[in-house]
Amino acid sequence: MSTPSGFDELIHPSTRLSVVALLAATEWADFPFIRDSLSLSDSALSKQLHTLEEAGYLEIRKEGGGRKRRTKVRLTSRGRTAFEGHVAALRAIVEGAGPAAAAGQAPEAADATAATTQQRQHHAKAGR
Amino acid sequence: MTTTVDAEQAWQDLQRIRVPQERVYDEIERTAQDDTRASYTTAALMWMFLAVSGLDLPGWAFWLTLTAYVAVLGTLAVVYNRRTRIRLHRSRHSWRSFATFFAGMVVTLVAILLSGRLVEWLALPFGSLIQATVSAAAFLLFVGPANRWAVSTLRDRAGRATHEKGVR
Repeated sequence: MSTPSGFDELIHPSTRLSVVALLAATEWADFPFIRDSLSLSDSALSKQLHTLEEAGYLEIRKEGGGRKRRTKVRLTSRGRTAFEGHVAALRAIVEGAGPAAAAGQAPEAADATAATTQQRQHHAKAGR
Repeated sequence: MTTTVDAEQAWQDLQRIRVPQERVYDEIERTAQDDTRASYTTAALMWMFLAVSGLDLPGWAFWLTLTAYVAVLGTLAVVYNRRTRIRLHRSRHSWRSFATFFAGMVVTLVAILLSGRLVEWLALPFGSLIQATVSAAAFLLFVGPANRWAVSTLRDRAGRATHEKGVR
């Protein structure tokens, strides 16, 4: 099956997709907030953030010094556009498979899928 | 390398996106619930400023008080901003956020002016203390419920927007 345009290989891995999805809802987020929300280790998150930063998808800014040092992460406009394109591509795949794939899952089933996904993420940590 | 994705995997990825975004709204709602300390501090500062400014101070003393009040409010804003772990993206705010901000200013200003007029009209003793207490109370009564009202629909709004995009 071919992937529709907008599908982003860099965002596709589950950990990176979660990181970008979280950042897409924010102007910026603190490093510890992202780490705790996604149940990742410091090193796993750091690795994913640097990969995305190298691609120009996000900016990492360090503020303050000593014990008050904070790391803020912000999605760039390029990263936001890539994420929106990726989401549109995923929707196109679901819709392209027919209404059964998209509408066949009741909201409860969708919530269950989300919960399962979250559990899987907890176990997988920064698998990718 | 090209990745191929089937419909089921794409659907799971779309659900996976929802989970971290829910965490963002959890944090926004938690902050709105827990900001009572900031509200009480702001109300206490307002009370002090109004009480002091009603003491028939000379012009320079009034301006000094006003400058100190604004400076302390600014410092407080910086401190609370540093404690914030996230900031919601501007596209995710609803009209309620802006309405709450402006309504808060209007309610406080009206409370200050009306209580001042009332104190003058009734020629009450300790007028500035009464005016300060009424204004700070109006601010406190408004700000908590208004903040919760402003953030209460953000999650549903984001969910609806996602659903509408999906339907299109």
